[in-house]
Amino acid sequence: MDPRFTALLRPFLKHAGPGEPALTPDTDLRKLGVDSMQAIELLFTIEDTFGISLPDEELNDTTFATAGSLWRVIAAQLPGEVTA
Amino acid sequence: MPDTPPAATAPPAGYAALDALPPTAAGAEVWAALGGAGLLRRAYRDGSAGAGTDPAGLADLLAAVDARFGLAATLSVSVQLATALPVLAAGRHPAARQALDSALAGRSTVALAATDETPGTDLTALRTEVRTDGGGLTLTGTKKWIANATTATHHLVLARHRPGRHFTHFTWVLVPADAPGATVRPADTALYAAAGTGHLTLDAVRLGTDHLLGRTGFGLPLFARHIATERLAGAQWGVALCRRALAATHRHLADRPHGDGTLWDLPPVRQRFAACLVRVQELNALTDGFAQAVAHRYDATAAATLKAAAGATVHHVLDTCAQLWGAEGFRTGGIQELRAQAALFAIGGGAEEVVLGTVADAADSVLDALARPGTLP
Repeated sequence: MDPRFTALLRPFLKHAGPGEPALTPDTDLRKLGVDSMQAIELLFTIEDTFGISLPDEELNDTTFATAGSLWRVIAAQLPGEVTA
Repeated sequence: MPDTPPAATAPPAGYAALDALPPTAAGAEVWAALGGAGLLRRAYRDGSAGAGTDPAGLADLLAAVDARFGLAATLSVSVQLATALPVLAAGRHPAARQALDSALAGRSTVALAATDETPGTDLTALRTEVRTDGGGLTLTGTKKWIANATTATHHLVLARHRPGRHFTHFTWVLVPADAPGATVRPADTALYAAAGTGHLTLDAVRLGTDHLLGRTGFGLPLFARHIATERLAGAQWGVALCRRALAATHRHLADRPHGDGTLWDLPPVRQRFAACLVRVQELNALTDGFAQAVAHRYDATAAATLKAAAGATVHHVLDTCAQLWGAEGFRTGGIQELRAQAALFAIGGGAEEVVLGTVADAADSVLDALARPGTLP
């Protein structure tokens, strides 16, 4: 995952304590505090930061489930980005 | 005390169209007058509803309307200016463009139909659904307590396109009021009849896909942005409403004989009144302080703070004014009616409990912002 993405994501994880391990693709966003309002703000921040629009068909709960699933959708919109 | 005395207030200019209406004018009449005089565009940067709100222009319009008409009429205008038209501006198809142009010219009103049969405090439980089939849309559901519903030529309907509560499961749809299957009945309320308040039923309403407003799945994000502006508008309006109520109460107290003087001479009365002056100035300062953050960055915490403050301040001020009016306050059209209507400030557009929850979620950042840099151990 891109360091810009993990840095962007970190402030939204209000339940992530200081001892929380580093973000991994399996990090569960909801468990770490990304509720509906947080997710809306996260969506706007992603689109503003990367200058992209997430495809309408990717706007779903699966995309916003984990850090990895969200990053894969973002990366697919970035030219030259490896999504694996 | 302010550092500098406030500048002399210039007499209001350009509201002749409003002055031509009776004080009892309904929201739709006020809206038509504002649009016909070209005033509605003052609420937006560059005069465009899609360009974002101009806080000063919005506050001026709300204050001008509040000063002349009843609370329900101002509600009708406020909801359209702050939320309905900016949501409508997200539409890219001709139907949305035409509806927006017509509304801005005052030729029509637009209803924002978000609240469902389910409680407004549980928005993601809403049941109204939009299905895409056969190259078109089918809408089914019921919207309750919608301002401007009885007068609108178009309803902006928040519907789910997918089951479940996830925030991406909702989409806005532009529904012409005369679409087959769309029916409106007035809400049973004397308090908000002048706002065109009603309930909207959608019985398998068929529309083309060009009636989708904004991106599919972007319904709640779009709503979150523009409900923030509505909360700013509510705070601006709250200041105007409190000022109006306090000015009328002040005149009443100064004219009402009591003993060798008037009610205004009684220290307990003066103190209660002064406490209201303090409260409304607090709200005014908070509104000025957060206006740009809400209008330009759609700051949800700032907007929730304004909404919570407006609800509490309006409640306190109108309760106090109503008490100070005594029995006179119970006359038809008196302060007690206004007080009942103004309970809306802690309910509509996000109940007090909901917005306080939003503020609580941001407790750390709010506390950080209050700390003076370099002063903490």
